[in-house]
Amino acid sequence: MDTLILGLCYGGIYALIALGYTMVYGIAKMLNFAHGDIIMAGAYAIFVVLSAQGHVILALLAAIVVCTALGLLSERLAYRPLRSASPLAVLITAIGVSYLLQSLAQIFFDSQKRPVTVLPPESVPMFGTTVSVASLWTLALCTVIMVVLTLFIKKTRVGCAMLAVSEDRGAAQLMGINVNFIIALTFAIGSALAAFASLFYLMQTSVVEPTLGAMPGIKAFTAAVIGGIGSIPGAMVGGILLGVIETFSSSSPALSPYTTAIEFGLLIVILLVRPVGLFGKKRREKV
Amino acid sequence: MKNLVRIFCVVLAVSFCAIAFTACGGGERVYVIGGTGPLSGENSAYGLAVMRGATIAIDEINRDGGLNGVQFKLDMKHDACDAEQAASAYLTLIESGMQVSIGSVTSGAAKSFADAAAEDNVLCLTPSASADDVIGAGAHSFRVCLGDPQQGTIAADELVTNGGYTKIGVIYDTSDIYSEGLYNAFVARMTELGKTAGTDYVVQSFDNSNKSNFTAQVNALKNANCDVLFLPIYYGEAGLIARQATQADFKVPILGCDGLDGVKDHLEGVDASVVVRYITPFDASSTDARIKNFVTEYQNRYNETPNQFAADGYDAVMIIFKAMQAAGINDVTITASELCEALKPILTGGEFKYTGLTGADMTWTEGGSCNKAANIVTVAH
Amino acid sequence: MTVTAEKKKFRLKYYGNYLLLAAVLLLLIVLDVSGVLKRSSALTFTRIGYSIILAVSLNLVVGFLGELSLGHAGFMCVGAYVGCLTSNYLYTVIDSPVIVVLLALAVGGVAAALFGLLIGLPTLRLKGDYLAIVTLAFGEIIRTVCRNQEFLGGAMGLDNPNKYGKELYIIAFLAALVTVAVIQNLMRSKHGRAIQAIRDNEIAARAMGVNVTYYKLVGFVIAAFFAGIAGVIYGQQVSPISSNAFDYNYSIDILVMVVLGGMGNITGSIIAASLLTYIDVTLVSQLSGNAVMYKSLIYALILIFMILWNNAPFMLPARDWVRGKFTDLRRALFRRRAAESEGEPPATAAWDKIPTKIPMDALLSTDIVPERSHGGERKEDENESMGS
Repeated sequence: MDTLILGLCYGGIYALIALGYTMVYGIAKMLNFAHGDIIMAGAYAIFVVLSAQGHVILALLAAIVVCTALGLLSERLAYRPLRSASPLAVLITAIGVSYLLQSLAQIFFDSQKRPVTVLPPESVPMFGTTVSVASLWTLALCTVIMVVLTLFIKKTRVGCAMLAVSEDRGAAQLMGINVNFIIALTFAIGSALAAFASLFYLMQTSVVEPTLGAMPGIKAFTAAVIGGIGSIPGAMVGGILLGVIETFSSSSPALSPYTTAIEFGLLIVILLVRPVGLFGKKRREKV
Repeated sequence: MKNLVRIFCVVLAVSFCAIAFTACGGGERVYVIGGTGPLSGENSAYGLAVMRGATIAIDEINRDGGLNGVQFKLDMKHDACDAEQAASAYLTLIESGMQVSIGSVTSGAAKSFADAAAEDNVLCLTPSASADDVIGAGAHSFRVCLGDPQQGTIAADELVTNGGYTKIGVIYDTSDIYSEGLYNAFVARMTELGKTAGTDYVVQSFDNSNKSNFTAQVNALKNANCDVLFLPIYYGEAGLIARQATQADFKVPILGCDGLDGVKDHLEGVDASVVVRYITPFDASSTDARIKNFVTEYQNRYNETPNQFAADGYDAVMIIFKAMQAAGINDVTITASELCEALKPILTGGEFKYTGLTGADMTWTEGGSCNKAANIVTVAH
Repeated sequence: MTVTAEKKKFRLKYYGNYLLLAAVLLLLIVLDVSGVLKRSSALTFTRIGYSIILAVSLNLVVGFLGELSLGHAGFMCVGAYVGCLTSNYLYTVIDSPVIVVLLALAVGGVAAALFGLLIGLPTLRLKGDYLAIVTLAFGEIIRTVCRNQEFLGGAMGLDNPNKYGKELYIIAFLAALVTVAVIQNLMRSKHGRAIQAIRDNEIAARAMGVNVTYYKLVGFVIAAFFAGIAGVIYGQQVSPISSNAFDYNYSIDILVMVVLGGMGNITGSIIAASLLTYIDVTLVSQLSGNAVMYKSLIYALILIFMILWNNAPFMLPARDWVRGKFTDLRRALFRRRAAESEGEPPATAAWDKIPTKIPMDALLSTDIVPERSHGGERKEDENESMGS
């Protein structure tokens, strides 16, 4: 039972990160490889504020500011000039940005792991076992964020504009939607989600290092592909699925050494059986 | 395109000359001790500690007049814990006049270094590479620290015989040579003691792509009702596991090996009732005059408390120096191979005993492993 | 323009890469025989040799096929392990190290190619971005699996008691030569044209009757094969072959070589691979401290800058300016040749002179006027090589 709760927690975190990937992919049609490293930047922001005896809320705000700024900056400087270039060129640039953020973190913060305590390690009894307070916060906040995000996209004008841009960028532009603004907004929202993800991630693992974002980033990316990249419910389901599988696999002695292989193997299997992912829509390509 | 080719040819020609003709400059009359380690990047803490400890030893030797008036020099290269880079660094070192070496700091690189050194018969006395394969590379390879088999055996004996624990939880790193070596030795000893996996001890693992999330493993061990944790891993992950264990309300004693040296700073938030202990031959808080001097000197220079790696680095250089003294080396132009042949019988002879920071009366077996006592220290947190 | 003049041009353009590699190899052998070549330099040049193989073969996927593979190090890993197992076994049967290594090269390459087929078959039918993530996933899976096999040495890695020795650089450079020859000739055949057509416009290529999945697979498997070869060479000079060396960052390092050298430019890949490897080795052996951090910073900047330079609209004036200077320089250096080609289309003309097995017209569909389509293709090609 507590393995399941833990899995849901990690699933929630993966889902938050995957949402960032999937929104950017849906709207800007690019894989933002650097998304994981934006989480790392957020984690360092939290680390800095907390080591200066700042409050957790303040740390979260700092992380949101840093992540959003980095997201917007990378979009403006690296991705926007390449809007008309081939997807390959954009992908390579995104890898470059990812590498850049990692090496900058190494230079500024050193490559050592640093401990950081977000919440005191407490736990409450529940369902016949004990669940840590951090896990409860993570689960609750992840749910709230996902609900809010879904409502935002479905109900607001800006949300509709985002949907329109993801549907057909050219037509949306003709309808008077400022595409550049919408894309920048998408990056901002995705990065802000990353800031939340970094807080939850730190609650669970309580250590920061420059490569912190790389693995969760790649895994969340896997989750987004499993769920069907570009699809928001897909990212949520994919993230949670991956989190649960990872936790169950890590806690079984026989499977544990192969956890990474299992997660990525799942990706390959899903792509084989259903190439567009669980919730992806099949698009016919035109010349 | 053509001029690119042309430019490239020029660059290549220049670099050729640079590589081919950077012959070692003559004139200096010192003994050169070489070595490699991770001096930057993720594992730089270990490499830098060894280098700093060794530098203190070199300075001490030179201050006291060297060996019959001949000074010593340490040449330490970066290897990123990578086998290929260690082999490459070895060749660079031997070509620039290294006469004796302290091998490499980490096991994978040290194995590669020792293999390459076997061709030239260069003595390797690795400070800290504990894997069995390292000293298995040949008769020229020795070590200062306790090997994986020694530590795994000590840990199993301590937990089963002395501790009387009935269900031991183990978490190890499948991607790390050190951790895997300790784990294998531990399991071998447990089997000798008649214990079986699953009933007497429960094993969990992780690898370098899952290095920050141990909650699943910790929970599994908690559910298996383990009464002690054995962590044959490095201090960063061990601290994390300790914190995540407290978070999961799993407050059992923890035992680790020498990799846990340094865990103190990573135990913030761990419940005070959790006893963390580790096996180490070096204790920085010891009252021994030798250790006190070393700790003070290290703190003055580098503004931090030395860990076991630093002490190992110091001892490695000192052992080489003392052994050279014992062998009556008097010629600074001695070749690496001659020096190796002169030192080998001294180290394995049994009469030569070294007392340093990481143990008293150390002697070496033919196989290259070091006989010394190990302590189990408790971390105050 | 006489036939002989044209032949000359033809040779210089197409044989430059071979001459370059052969010249370096020859120089090395001469230095070696005269006893000047140090062992550390030989090791460095072996590294340069297999880096060239890696970069050129990745260029086949990234530059010519237009797909992103992030698992090149994974294929190399397969080659290294399989090659080492093979050679360890063969040394018990055969005495001659050269034959053992050649056989190991073949076995390792084929093993990596098989893995390429295994990965490529399901994923190459999918659209571009998926391949990147699947190859990345593959690289991680391979590492995880290798690490947990007792017979592959676990985390310590596979012990290799029979390293090849100093002369491995000869094999490395010969293998690089073969790699360049195969890939360059492939690209100039009708198959290569098909592969590049897929990159330029997949749907159009499909409409022209190109079997897209087949050609993607061919390109991908060949690249995997050569990555395996590079792995075998690596495995012959490193003793514990540890899966940790082949992580995702290593794939990125290879990608940097390709991007720096120019996507779709083989000479560029050769130069970039040599240069970056050389710098890498020098950094490691000369500097200590934080060189590694700056290395990844520089690599990141190279990636971003090169892509922006070649693609971003705001770079266009700067690019044109540099290109202009470059042309001036070229004119100054090769005045006679430049004067010759003044006013006429560049030397890529005369498609029918290129030795393909079928006549050029049969290659392209018949409903387009051959003249025009040639012209279009030629322009495209020129842009490509200039851009890189």
